[in-house]
Amino acid sequence: MGIINFAPKILDPVPGGKYVVNAIDYVVNWARANSIWPLTYGTSCCAIEMMSSSMARYDIARFGSEVFRASPRQADLFIIAGTITRRMAPALQMLWEQMPGPKYVLAMGACTISGGPFIYDNYSVVRGAQNLIPVDVFVPGCPPRPEALFHGLLTLREKILKETCRDPWHEGDTKDVAFMDRYREAAKAWAELEKIKDEEMAEARAKFKEENPDYKSAFKPVRVVKENFPEIAREATPSRGLSQSEMFAKLQAKFPSATVPASGEDTVEAVIQNMAADAPLEVTIDANDYLSAVEFVKNDASFSMDYLIDVTAIDYEDHFELITMLRSMQHGHKLFFCTPLKKNADIPEEKRATALLAKVPTVSHLYPAAEVKEREVYDMFGIEFTGHQDLRRIFLDKDFVGYPLRKDFTNPDMIKRPV
Amino acid sequence: MSMTQLPPGFKITRESNTEEFFVNMGPQHPSTHGALRLALRMDGETIIELVPHFGYIHRGMEKQAESMTYLQYIAMSDRQDYLTAIQNNLGVALALEKGMNIGVPERQEYIRVMLCELGRIASHLVFFGCFGGDLGGQTCLLFGFKEREMIHDILEEVTGSRLTTNFFRPGGSRFDVPENFIPRVKSFLDHMEDSMKDYERFLSKNIIVQERSIGIGILSKEDAIAYGCSGPVLRASGIDFDVRKNNPYSIYSQLEFDVPTARNGDCYDRYNVRIAEIHESMRILRQCVGKFPAEGPWRSKEKPVKLAAGRYYSEIETAKGLYGTYVVAAAGDKPYRIHTRGPSFPHIAALNKMVQGHTVSDLVTIMATLDPVIPEIDR
Repeated sequence: MGIINFAPKILDPVPGGKYVVNAIDYVVNWARANSIWPLTYGTSCCAIEMMSSSMARYDIARFGSEVFRASPRQADLFIIAGTITRRMAPALQMLWEQMPGPKYVLAMGACTISGGPFIYDNYSVVRGAQNLIPVDVFVPGCPPRPEALFHGLLTLREKILKETCRDPWHEGDTKDVAFMDRYREAAKAWAELEKIKDEEMAEARAKFKEENPDYKSAFKPVRVVKENFPEIAREATPSRGLSQSEMFAKLQAKFPSATVPASGEDTVEAVIQNMAADAPLEVTIDANDYLSAVEFVKNDASFSMDYLIDVTAIDYEDHFELITMLRSMQHGHKLFFCTPLKKNADIPEEKRATALLAKVPTVSHLYPAAEVKEREVYDMFGIEFTGHQDLRRIFLDKDFVGYPLRKDFTNPDMIKRPV
Repeated sequence: MSMTQLPPGFKITRESNTEEFFVNMGPQHPSTHGALRLALRMDGETIIELVPHFGYIHRGMEKQAESMTYLQYIAMSDRQDYLTAIQNNLGVALALEKGMNIGVPERQEYIRVMLCELGRIASHLVFFGCFGGDLGGQTCLLFGFKEREMIHDILEEVTGSRLTTNFFRPGGSRFDVPENFIPRVKSFLDHMEDSMKDYERFLSKNIIVQERSIGIGILSKEDAIAYGCSGPVLRASGIDFDVRKNNPYSIYSQLEFDVPTARNGDCYDRYNVRIAEIHESMRILRQCVGKFPAEGPWRSKEKPVKLAAGRYYSEIETAKGLYGTYVVAAAGDKPYRIHTRGPSFPHIAALNKMVQGHTVSDLVTIMATLDPVIPEIDR
């Protein structure tokens, strides 16, 4: 559209020429506004609503936007459908840069406006797409309904129709300051505004009280008739396979360190007796016995724990607890190994946040499923799995500082949830 | 060419006369079903090895959960696997119920089962659409979403939201179902019965679909168990495992339904298992419509959501597979830690096993039949 942008310079000085420029504007805008081709970009929930809006019921084709392009080079509109994480941000900026101008950005959903449900205590979500690329239209909702998306599209259409080649579309800047925190700025400004308001109102309130000392509000709360609901106890669902006490007896015969945590006067037997039938047996086992215990329950015919449900961990003050969840496909019983892992106390205080604090042998050679799960525990807790073939960070970048699921994890980007 | 050093994650060492190269797929790609990056090691058109890179939609939900109340976390579970949000709600609610030792009345059990089965059908319909779409038949998307909208109308009427339902609570749900719930489900089922015939005629017997999916992406029985697969992927490999049957929760033990399985574990089997599951879900719904108690309480007596200190584990069968919730409760209304075991994570981990020796176009087919939801993997 390079030539058209010169048209006003040539035609505007000529008598009657501005009508020609207006006509050019009209034609160009008509074409642009009626065929906005969006880029297929969806990371999470909003993408499904974006898909819904292009289907038969809602039919985005009514607005000329049905041609979802997989390549940014053919797209006019960037619908950011879904949360943007720090890891995704460079890819998003690159996609925007690859789009030819004039290009528009529609931020769909609460996540792309402010971070949405992921504002507080979060170390990975970018709080709003406007921190990365210039945004034309915001569509609130979590996720927005297709109708809301259409309202956004029509708003964008209006914006395009107002364009003129006297002031042609120009590329806004990608923000060179990555991830600036508008949320905190806005919250601060809001708090100040509230304070000023409160001060102004205080005077009026005092005056009102002075003038009407006997004033009582006429408002009476109406109580909705409350329905009476019965108290219902939980029905235990039946379990299959070995019972918890059978499993525990067999395990303890083999591994004397295996226990079930019992508190106060309860004996271990009593704790197991009181377990719900469908609850998995959680056995605490010494870290030295961990690998041989997992091997044992996998190969023993009466256990035959062939299915690994999950591996995860819990961070306590002085130790981690590794939870290995196993199930037997054949018999149907479940067994969770809880392995306390002492935190390495030799590491100096200032290095603890970035250091691997505990070590445990891997079980990924027994269960291929454990490979990714152990990487997740490594990534989130900083627990080393000795003998693991491919121990890398899985969800976070390799230069991410710290291990987020530790209780003492701090990150400058985290905003504490107000109580 | 033998490479001196392979990029991280690649393991296979092999000698070859041809030149190997690497292809990057994602993180923004229409057929990776979300923000997932796949690194492919290729020899000509053949995939030698595949390494998935996760974390492009890692939102730190488990960290956030530590400062949330239990009820706030139910809203988080919507956003993990948004295609089966209603079932995820149930998974969390069941774990909390164990901690609070609270049960639900019969009417609520039927509401739960019915909404979950509607959610299962909705999720499988998205699979149907995406599977067809990824194979090049965009019309399938239009077909799948047509009936899905009807389910979403019902869900919206009951829960107030189309996608992120945030509905079930320990001891009940947010609301009772409206009066016309049962007639609407009935009319939906009648409509769906007819549409299913169209669907099956459209894809199941389509020669292109068969050519592109039979014998593609075979996952053996042993591998399926070893990698921790669940749901239709596991059942297509010939293992008769369904949490609804093996560890029945809610009132699934009182309902009659079969667990469809297949033998070969290829893409066509996974597709067929899902189609058969839609039929089974409709069978369950038909029974529920007949048995639904018209009268009676819809929730248990209200109790503060505070769990006794301890650990609680619940698992349910969502449309994708085994969804486990592990709650470590401290005293009070906030969890010490909540961990979610999603079904899609192991499936993508097993992807490498399935694609070796296939082409990139087959990878797209295999990805579609795994039906992963990436935000549930990354959480």
